[in-house]
Amino acid sequence: MKKIMNPDRRRFLKTATASAVIGTTAWLNVPQKAWAGEGKLATLIDLTRCDGCPDREVPACVAACKGIKQGSLPEPADPIPVPFPTRKVEDWSKKKEVSNRLTPYNRIYIQKVEVESGGRKQIVFIPRRCMHCDNPACATLCPFASNHKFENGAVVIDPETCFGGAKCKTVCPWEIPQRQSGIGIYLKVLPTLMGNGIMVKCDFCNDLLREGKKPACIGACPRDAMAIGPRKEIFARAEELAKKIGGHLYGKTENGGTATLYVSPVPFTTLDAALKPGPGQPGLRQVERRMAGTDGLGKAVLAAPALGVAAGLAGAFAFISRRKNGSGKGE
Amino acid sequence: MSQLILEEKNRVVRHGVLEMAEHWTIALSGLVLLLSGLFELPMAARYGITTIPGFAWSGDFITSLSVHYAASVVFIAASMFHLLYHGLAGERELLPQKGDLKTSIAVIKTFFGKGEEPPFGKYLPEQRLAYAGMAVIIAVLILSGLIKTCKNVFAPDLSHMLVLWATWLHNIFFVLFVLAFIAHIGAILLKPNRPLARGIFTGAVRLDYARHRHPLWLAGMGPQPSLLSTEIKIEEESSEGPTITAEAAPVAGSGETPVSDAEDEEMKEQNQQETPG
Repeated sequence: MKKIMNPDRRRFLKTATASAVIGTTAWLNVPQKAWAGEGKLATLIDLTRCDGCPDREVPACVAACKGIKQGSLPEPADPIPVPFPTRKVEDWSKKKEVSNRLTPYNRIYIQKVEVESGGRKQIVFIPRRCMHCDNPACATLCPFASNHKFENGAVVIDPETCFGGAKCKTVCPWEIPQRQSGIGIYLKVLPTLMGNGIMVKCDFCNDLLREGKKPACIGACPRDAMAIGPRKEIFARAEELAKKIGGHLYGKTENGGTATLYVSPVPFTTLDAALKPGPGQPGLRQVERRMAGTDGLGKAVLAAPALGVAAGLAGAFAFISRRKNGSGKGE
Repeated sequence: MSQLILEEKNRVVRHGVLEMAEHWTIALSGLVLLLSGLFELPMAARYGITTIPGFAWSGDFITSLSVHYAASVVFIAASMFHLLYHGLAGERELLPQKGDLKTSIAVIKTFFGKGEEPPFGKYLPEQRLAYAGMAVIIAVLILSGLIKTCKNVFAPDLSHMLVLWATWLHNIFFVLFVLAFIAHIGAILLKPNRPLARGIFTGAVRLDYARHRHPLWLAGMGPQPSLLSTEIKIEEESSEGPTITAEAAPVAGSGETPVSDAEDEEMKEQNQQETPG
């Protein structure tokens, strides 16, 4: 049960040349051992630094992610079973090169947005991927525990047990997880009636984190626009940077808090207004953690056994004393 | 206890108000849990359940979780109350007894015309076994559900191993709960058991039925003024233990008996079926 990562991906990692590059940059002066342990991690994305890699066909972070995840998904069944009754098949396997949105084969992409802020026009590049929320509904509500948040903060979908029902996507305020039909355990159960593939999203390169290495995207950034490290340190650094540039933070409180902090010179409401969110292209709106509304009832559930025990004890003692009194009178 | 047998009404009290309240609280909250649990699977929108009037909420996982939580509070508290109250009160009638499995098989055979039913106490042996089975299912569902709730509210990064165990046990025992529920309803629908259904709605069953099928229960009540019209013979048999037969004497004031014609017919039919030869 300890093995939770796709064995295919493990095999691929052993041979991936990209892994040689990862972890070699002593970035942000965060000691390497800082993310090798079990402590909580966080990432900082500095939008003053990201330029979308204009000299590259595909931004470095996107290319690194694609490279390290290449081959991690098996080829889908041919033909892909058509789900009843929706008949909705999502097949990205023939469009693996797509890099302008999130897909099962593209777990990070760069949004480019032109805005007017502070009286001047600015172009802002925003790397987008899973935010790795502090209390992610995508993971806690997964009916098969295929999606899980680990102690280090990584929220990881296990492709071996995911049925591709897309519940995680529905409850994610950014609809990050993407579905690839024709892959996964559902093929062995009721392929047309239950499930529809597997859900895929950024997994923080959790395998690499466990080896004390950085996620591929962070290690590949030529402008050091992204950083990973102990949560407290990253949060302090992000606050400091935002204060220094008179900028703004995103991800600290959104959806109840996340492990990804964006620092931007432009207000995120301005960026969100300029963005055109769509499938696989999330916005940057302020989002509340909807599940917070259920926490009160959840706590009542946890208190229910004590309530039942107290009522049972009181009732039983009342019954026993009534019985004693009854038998006493009888004598 | 003198109120247990109501000769004039042809009734014998089987469940108190408290027992009925417990049963229906657990049953109804269990049904809500069953439904809202199903809606935690991504199926309501896919299968168009959300388009059924009154079920639009079924496609919203957060709303169905709230419903699931609310029903859980009632279900868990009622289950714990049941366990503590009856455990401490020393009520053991529903706990399985030695030989219940063997007797249950024999009873099930009688449904297919093989052999005759032995005389029963208050509960049928298969009822006691089903009770124990349902208790185990409910216990596992509650324990695993509490772990899942704790994860949702306080510890999303709880050990993955623990979460996997809790989740899969919850799922598997959910299926068992559904099967047990279907079996429970199926058992009530069986003709010989139908007179028992009245008991869980009104608290009482027909006295003539109880005399016929549950003589050990009536005998266990001890001498009661209202039982005088019932002749109970207990004959010791060396090899097979006590055999108890209960013969229903004409009920005094039978002109006022509330037994309906349909019930009379049903009883006659039942007696005919159970008459050898």
